[in-house]
Amino acid sequence: MKPRVGIFSLTGCAGDQLQILNMEDELLELVSHIHIVDFQEGSSHKEEGPIDVAFVEGSVSTETDRKHLKEIRERSKILIAFGNCAVEGGIQTMRNNEGSIDERLKEVYGVEPGFFDARLSKPLSEYVDVDIDIPGCPVEKEETIRAITSLLHGDLPPRFTYPVCVECKLNEYPCVIVESGKPCLGPVIRAGCDARCPGLGLDCIGCRGPVDSASGFAAEYNMLLEKGYSKEFILNRLRVFSGEVKEDFLGGDQR
Amino acid sequence: MTRRLTVDMLTRVEGHGGVEVVFDGSEVKDVKFNVFEGPRFFESIIKTVHYDKIPDMTRRICAICTASHSLASIGAIENAFNVKNTPQTELLRDLLIHGEMIESHALHVYMLALPDFLGYPDAIAMSADHIDAVKNALNLKKAGNMIHTTLSGRDVHGMNERVGGFSKAPTEEELTEVKKMLEEVQPVAELAVELFKGFELPTLNESDNVLMAIDPGDRFGYLGTHVLVTGGERYPEEDYMKLTNEKVYRHSYAKHSTYNGDPFMVGALPRIQLNHDKLMGTARELYKEHSDMVDPRNTLSNNFCQALELVHDVERGVEVIDTLLSNGLEEEDQVEFEVHEGRGRNAVEAPRGLLYHDYRFDDNGCITKANIITPTAQNAANIEKDIRVMASNHVGEDAELMKNIEVMIRAYDPCISCSVHLVRLR
Repeated sequence: MKPRVGIFSLTGCAGDQLQILNMEDELLELVSHIHIVDFQEGSSHKEEGPIDVAFVEGSVSTETDRKHLKEIRERSKILIAFGNCAVEGGIQTMRNNEGSIDERLKEVYGVEPGFFDARLSKPLSEYVDVDIDIPGCPVEKEETIRAITSLLHGDLPPRFTYPVCVECKLNEYPCVIVESGKPCLGPVIRAGCDARCPGLGLDCIGCRGPVDSASGFAAEYNMLLEKGYSKEFILNRLRVFSGEVKEDFLGGDQR
Repeated sequence: MTRRLTVDMLTRVEGHGGVEVVFDGSEVKDVKFNVFEGPRFFESIIKTVHYDKIPDMTRRICAICTASHSLASIGAIENAFNVKNTPQTELLRDLLIHGEMIESHALHVYMLALPDFLGYPDAIAMSADHIDAVKNALNLKKAGNMIHTTLSGRDVHGMNERVGGFSKAPTEEELTEVKKMLEEVQPVAELAVELFKGFELPTLNESDNVLMAIDPGDRFGYLGTHVLVTGGERYPEEDYMKLTNEKVYRHSYAKHSTYNGDPFMVGALPRIQLNHDKLMGTARELYKEHSDMVDPRNTLSNNFCQALELVHDVERGVEVIDTLLSNGLEEEDQVEFEVHEGRGRNAVEAPRGLLYHDYRFDDNGCITKANIITPTAQNAANIEKDIRVMASNHVGEDAELMKNIEVMIRAYDPCISCSVHLVRLR
């Protein structure tokens, strides 16, 4: 029997499920191996009942999101946090350390508390157990296909445990910190993108989230300080995709 | 007696939205286009951020219109700092926005809207009987994504287009490959017109529509500095606030826009209706042949207009590449400019219609205030107007009405993720 797969989205840009639709060469082959029970963006077909693998993109940003996520968890054997919003909370988590949701609603919509059911954006793991992470803003198509293929064969998908820097060096790209003084986050961000941005002469903005262990970042952090970037600037950059990253994550010289 | 009809969750649209219609007897009492998508506070989170990183952030408002957001964002920054780009940059951006239309329209026209007209729940089910149509559609979409990948760095949320130019110019070989692909899919774009011209459109929603689209200059396109409105008015992009008066409703995280108190429509139908005389080549011929399919009183003709744009996009893409190749590609540095306190506003056509980005900067080039108005937020009030007209004209089964409303909304190709952006209230 084909595994029953659900593709769900909470709050985000829907870019991760779009990456599934963007698999123009593989899509028809791929869907022939699975039974899709829910895919709101792509289909009006919907089935109740248990799910073998649930892909969930987006962050939990409303009470509706939270309830939806709980329901998905209850009916799913394997729950995959699919993309940066689901894994880290996404770009909308960037300013969670600055002010409450009520203040923000007041500022942006001009409404009183309780007008909407919004809450501070959080990653899925804040509310439910997550079995597998597929990082990225957006997810890489190859990594997603590899994950699905692994699961079809009863294996766990491979996980990148080293930073973007490694891929950058394997490609022999010039280091954008050393060569052009750009605030590249490659040393602390999870690999898997083949160092796309440094390959274009751009600094890594961290869209795949932090690598599991950030030890060794102290040297890098100091290098950025020496290039004249302030601590506030670097933290702001890390927070764009790394959720509620704490100040001590940076380590290194706190001058 | 009050009767409440709902569509809990619209499918085959980007993002989360629903519909509510309340009848009092046969009288339509209330209609709502509900937006459940959670808020993301972009205008608030980009404050204090340096201009160079703004497009990387704001493009993440939407996946399917990522390049439109990026170009609108870059344009607003460049307007604030008076950046003058090279002709190569202008051509590459023009190609990029056409690529965006191709990937987005191919997805919407073939994969999301066509199943409605052929009676399938989705393109995958449709592929059982129409495998060639689905394969062709995927190929057409791939051509659009190839433009994204070649110019922007990847399909979704690229990074290569920057303030003042491109970080790395594409090679002549890469552009030649894209051109080959575009030529291969030209018949698929034309087939979309053939398909949609044959469908009889429901007329339940017919009513007057105020239309708005960018003034692209001499040639049909998506970039420009002025906005055209039904009736011949023309506004500079700086005056966008006069065109989009936003309001907050409890049922929606998307603000609703009106123009002189009336709802209005943006998107492919307004673009074709207001700018069809600027179409060239096959798209012009096809428009002349089927101009009766472009009905400004029926928003469902938006699907046909998207198909027509696909033909334009593919042809124009080839033409821009030819110009780039004959000029020869240079590895250019991003142009230099002076950062200062200031404000920049910019309008571009996203696949779903006009998109505005408006930023104020301090003298370090960091954002002090931002305002972003997306096409679906502008269309929301018009969608509600259409729902009201349809509900008022409807006789027969409730289920049929709700199904027709869903088809009508889908024809707008709403991007609900995008619509949830927010503006600071004045």
